[in-house]
Order: sequence, then structure tokens, then C-alpha cells
Amino acid sequence: MTTAPLLAARGVSKAFFGNPVLRDVSIALQPGRVHALLGENGAGKSTLINLLSGALRPDSGTIEVDGRAVARMTPALARQAGIAVVQQELSLTASLSIAENIGIGAYPKRFGLVDYKELAARAKAACKLVGLDEPLSTPVGNLSLGRRQMVEIAKALYRRPRVLILDEPTSSLSATETKILTDLLGRLRGEGVAILYISHRLNEVMALCQHVTVLKDGTRTADRSLEGTDATGLVRLMVGRDPGDLFPKWQPSASPGAAISVRGFSAGLMHDVELDIRTGEVLGIGGLVGQGQEDLLLGLYGAIPARTASATVNGVSGLPGNVPKANALGLAYVPADRKREGLHLIHPIITNMMLPAFARLPSLKLRSRKAEGEKGRGLAAQLSIKGDLQRPAQALSGGNQQKVALAKWMPHDPLVLLLNDPTRGVDVETKREIYLMLRAFAAAGKAVVLLSSDTPELVHLCDRVAVVREGRVVRMLERAALSEEAIVSAAMGAERRKVAA
Amino acid sequence: MTAWTDSAGGRRARAILTSRPFLTLAIVVAVWIAASFASRGFGAYGHLRYLVELGAVIGLVAAGQTFVVIAGGIDLSVAAIVTVSAISLPLLSWQADPTGLASVLAVLALTTAIGVINGLGVALLRVHPMIMTLAMATFLQGLLIIIAGGSAVTAENLLVHWLGNARPAGIPAGILLWIAVSVLVLTLMHATPFGARIFAMGANPLAASLSGVPITSTTLAVYGISGFTAGLAGVLVLGMNGQGYVGIGDPYLLASIAAVVLGGTSILGGLGTYAGTIPGAILLVTITALITVVNASPGWRSILFGSLILGLLLLSGRERARR
Repeated sequence: MTTAPLLAARGVSKAFFGNPVLRDVSIALQPGRVHALLGENGAGKSTLINLLSGALRPDSGTIEVDGRAVARMTPALARQAGIAVVQQELSLTASLSIAENIGIGAYPKRFGLVDYKELAARAKAACKLVGLDEPLSTPVGNLSLGRRQMVEIAKALYRRPRVLILDEPTSSLSATETKILTDLLGRLRGEGVAILYISHRLNEVMALCQHVTVLKDGTRTADRSLEGTDATGLVRLMVGRDPGDLFPKWQPSASPGAAISVRGFSAGLMHDVELDIRTGEVLGIGGLVGQGQEDLLLGLYGAIPARTASATVNGVSGLPGNVPKANALGLAYVPADRKREGLHLIHPIITNMMLPAFARLPSLKLRSRKAEGEKGRGLAAQLSIKGDLQRPAQALSGGNQQKVALAKWMPHDPLVLLLNDPTRGVDVETKREIYLMLRAFAAAGKAVVLLSSDTPELVHLCDRVAVVREGRVVRMLERAALSEEAIVSAAMGAERRKVAA
Repeated sequence: MTAWTDSAGGRRARAILTSRPFLTLAIVVAVWIAASFASRGFGAYGHLRYLVELGAVIGLVAAGQTFVVIAGGIDLSVAAIVTVSAISLPLLSWQADPTGLASVLAVLALTTAIGVINGLGVALLRVHPMIMTLAMATFLQGLLIIIAGGSAVTAENLLVHWLGNARPAGIPAGILLWIAVSVLVLTLMHATPFGARIFAMGANPLAASLSGVPITSTTLAVYGISGFTAGLAGVLVLGMNGQGYVGIGDPYLLASIAAVVLGGTSILGGLGTYAGTIPGAILLVTITALITVVNASPGWRSILFGSLILGLLLLSGRERARR
């Protein structure tokens, strides 16, 4: 190609505290091209984005805009150059409205005051592009994670970017929202926008992107056109070996005994749920994002108020009224948002692992740091969490943080594991480890409830899938009937229309 | 440099040397040395001992405050509770209590109950800690004026008198009490599951609750402890003063919070230690003593005190960025 790339990095290196994170990496974003950036967690993708957007400065190498080297790239310069980044960690302010969040930092002014009329008009246009139809004055805190992600994307579009960088935009999106985004990116590409797209979902990358750069341990292992490449080939480039199957072989281990059984269950958005969770099975919970699935888990866990006509949990009748009671009944919950709900980021990894134990031990029993250290090292070895356990949890990559969020429940040997999207934003290798763990857990006669926004995961891992729409379990798909199409059509209510027609 | 820092012992030594409690202690020692050159008598053993004895009252109030701040709250009622303790003790005396122990225990039970009520408001009614404890302070002040009026009350209580004046083995009983409380507090904070729950609750209440930490009972306990240690400080201050009056606890509100923050405990909750609050309390009384030496008018003393606390906080490092 002869045209100058809109944004490029030439031979950039970056180290944190002496640890090299990127070594001599180059990347060039061409107009009218969707460029995929692949790599496992910790491969250096986020660092590369931060260099491109001026949030970090490279130790060596240069950043170029329109073919000219920029001596000191800063976030302000990047904004001027039309570079917009949609971060993986949402950067929205919960108490501000959708419109205010979208326009923040670039409010249209009139006589020195914010021109709310103009702001509303421009924010509305951006929202329309991503299919956000909520009133613009809705506080962002009231939106589900998936909708917030769409606001984040609208915020980037509001700035009319020439270069759009998306860091795992679809990890919390439903199938419909993903479709809207895919169409939108196709259109932007036609308008000559350069797009850098990061995702752990390879089929999306294959469908959407034209060019790929693969990072592994901070070095570039591939930079080529996606034409003639297949998904297996990509995984090999990322992992450095043959991928094998992502999902473990499914073997039935369900027994007729019910771990949890509820009738007439209502909690939050969910109402009139009849559900039996069997021991030894992985029960999937599917559906579009934000239909009440999370309330189902939280209600069973005693974290939000719930009502039932009748309920039995591990042989005890009645629902646990609060989390400590649920823990005592053998329930454990792993939240979706590990930074806000799952972990104590400023505390050491080991303290995070020990917290459920601290919650249950007698208050005034003396702690033994030695025993805690041994237990922590055992857990870390079991889940291959590397490094010093005294580091704060925020030092870990997303995948490893998720492992810590799981590991902390392991010593309690829970009978029922409630998981809320455990593989969101997690690299392929960690995903595989988590899948193996879940199947092993079910094989040991425990029950696993897996709420997931990743449909293939539901199809390949679960014994049954309960599909939730508008606060109800609308369909219970048995193993034999499981397919991505079946889940998606039940989630969108497509089959009802088919019957009506 | 690397050979020294890479060994485990070296790393530990460096961690201690760069920790906030140590830094605060170093400032205290530096100020003491500088002041004893500037002013004769400042560095005398008797004077320094007197400073630590004064620091004990702040240290006791700040013990409960440290718990509350680490748990993510703040207790603005400590000053009022100190006063409640100092004034109600003479009122709660019985003939059949020659040592005075029963009335001291009764007062501590009362102040602990006040703290628990703070906790109930914060945990169950979800009132913001600042509002809840400030309202409690205002309520208590009103009650005190009705009960005690403007007059000072005198305690005739053997135990209280002993605490304020006795010097077993040359060490004031108040300092001994502070040492005992410090050992208990540090153990509770860093060596029990209860302590770990408090840190977890302060760093991320939602994640703590989803991990099974009983938020309500832990909150009640934390504010209860603050009521208890403020009550203990009231008993000590009454013993040292001989008399209790409305307003006797007033200096201890800002002092307790300043001691906590000077000691490196995060005002945002979740990080910190009482080991920093201890030198923090001594640093505060040292500053007060220095200002008295300067011989300024009361107005200028307050201005100096406030500016020095601000300056020290800037010096010893502000809140580091989190996440």
C-alpha cells in the first residue's frame, strides 16, 4: 500500500519496572481497514493501545500520525488527531446522564455555557448509530453492562474519529448488539476510518477484519492479511503451539438429585421461575444481556431480596436470606465485574484468596500467616497463578484476576457454584483452564450454574440451558436440543413469531 | 544496591523503612531532637514522658477512629462521647462500689452502646457515617447540657484517680493503659479474621459482602469499638483533670482524625494500621507543645496548629492514586 497510515507505531518498546512488556513492535493502521490485534492476556495489547493513544510514552521507537513522527504523543494530541479509544474498562461516570457521558470533555459551548440543546442533538445522532434508544437523560448507572458498553462506543463516535480503537468491545454485548456494532464498523470502514479491533472471539475477528497483528509475550509474531488464514492458524500464532480443542469433551455426569429447587421464585427482574438445578450438571443461563439473569443468581445467593412459593437448597427448605447463610449452605458466587464486585484490587492476592475463609472463621481466632501462605501457594499452583502473592490484585492481568476470584472459593468445596460470565475478557488459554475446571467440578457431583453472554460456551459446556427473556425462563433446552441458533432464537422470541405465522 | 534489595531480609527492611508508620515515627524523633536544641527542658525525660501521657488520650480516641476509617467510615461523635464519659462517671457511682470499677464498667457499656447505635444507623438505616455520627454528637451535646448544665463535676472514684495520677515503676498509668490497648488493637486488626473483614469492607464493601462478610454485624462492632475507646479516653481524661465539664472532649475530634491520617491510614478506607496512628498521636501533642513554647496568642496558636497539620500531611505523602 502506498498511502500513509493514519496512525502507526514503528519499532516501539516499553518496560514497566524493568519488565519488558513490548519489544520492537510495529503496527500501521490504514484508512478503510479493520485491523485485528490479537494476543493472550498479558501479551502487551493494552500497552500498545496506550502508546498509540498517548496515554503512555514508548521507551524507544516512534509513534507516527499521517506518516509524520510525533515527538511527544499525549492524549490531547491524540484527540486532536482524531484518535478515539473505547477502553475495555469502562470510563463512564455512573451519576451522569447518557448525553453528558458521551459529550464529556467536548461539550458544545454557547456564550461560554454548555449548549445542552446542541449536546442532545449530537449525542442523539451518536446513540442512533449504535442503536441506543434509552432516553438521553438516563443516568448511566441505571444501564446494564452491555448498554454501558454501547454508550462508551457512542462516546467515541461523538468525536467523529479518523482512527477508532476498540478494546474488546463485544465482551459484554448480546448477539443483537454485536450485530449492530458489526454493521456500524463496516459502514465506518467504508467512510475511510481506520479501525483497530481487539477481541478474544476469533469468529468475530474472521468475519470483521481484513488485517491482523498478533502479539505474543510482547513481540510481534505475525502481521499479515487475514485472507487465507483460518481460526486455528491464528490461535497457533497467539499460543505458539497447536490449539487443540477449546472445550473439554462433554460427558454426562448429572444425577437425578436436585441441588437447588425453586417454585414461584421472584427476585429483581425475575418472576415466577420454576427451576431445578441438578447435582453433577452444568446448567447454562442464556439470553440477551440484561433480561434478569443476574438477579436469578443473586436471588438464589441471598444477595438481593427474593420470594418463593417453595424452595429447597441442598436439602434445606427455604432460600438463604443473606450471603453468609448461602455460604453456609454450600453456595458460592463469582461475579461478572471482577474489579467492582469480585476482588479487592488494592489488597494482596493472598488476602483476596483468603477472604471467604475470614468471613466464616470465628471473629477472634488468631490468624496464622504461615498456614495462609501455604494454602495460598497451593491454590496458586492449582490454578497456575504466577508470581508473588503479596502483590496487590490489581497487578494481575484480567485472566489471572478471574482465576483469583474463582480460587478464593475452592477451599470451601462449595456444592453449588454460581458463575456470572466467568470468561468475559479472558484469554483463550485461561478460558480453556476454566472450562476444564467447571466440567471437573460437575463430574465430582457438584452443581454449576453458568450465566454466560458467550453462546458457544453455553452450547459446548452445558448439560442444559435455561433461556431467559424479560424476567422469565422462556425455554429450557436439553443437551440434545442445544445449538447456538436454538439459544439465540429462544432469547429473541423468534420461535414464538414463527408459531404465530 | 541490587544485592541488598534482592535478599528477602533486605526487602523486608526496606519495606519497614519506607512504611508510613516508620516515617511518622522518624518525624517525631526529628522534631524532638530539633526542639531540645532550641528550647532547654523540652528534651528532658520528664517532659517527654508528659507528652506521651497526653498523647495517650488522643491515642485511645484514635484507636476506635482507626477501625472506623479503615472500615470505610468516619466517627464524628468521638468528642461528644469523651465528654459523655467524663461527665456521666460521677453520676453513675454507687456506695457499694469502693474501687470504682463498677461505675467505670457502666460508663464504658454506655459509650459502647452509643457507638453501636451509630453503627445501626449506618448499617441498617443506611445513613451516611458523617451525618449519623454528627447528628449523634449534636444529640449528645444537647443531652449533656440538660443533665450537667454549665457546672463542672468532680469524680470521687479510686480507679479513675489512680489511672490519672499513679506511676507504677515510674511510668504513668495512662501510658500503661495505652500500651495495653495498643497491643489489643494491633492484634485484633492484623491477626484475627475480624480485622481482615474490616479491611475488606473498607476497600470494597460490595465485593466483601458477596464474599460472605457479614456487613451489618461488622459495622456495629466497628462503631461499638469506637464508642468504647472514646469512653476509655473520657475516663482517663477525667482522672488526669480531676474534673469533668461540657466541652472537655472537644479537642479530640480533629486530633483523632489527624492522628489516623498522619499515621498513613487511607481516609478512603481499606488501607492502614494503628501502628501509624500511635506515632501520629505523639506527633500531634508534640506540635501542640511546640506552639505553646512559641508563646503565641490563642488565635495564632490555632492558626499555627492547623497549618502545621496540613504541612505535615503534605510532607509525609498524600493519598497515592488508587487503581
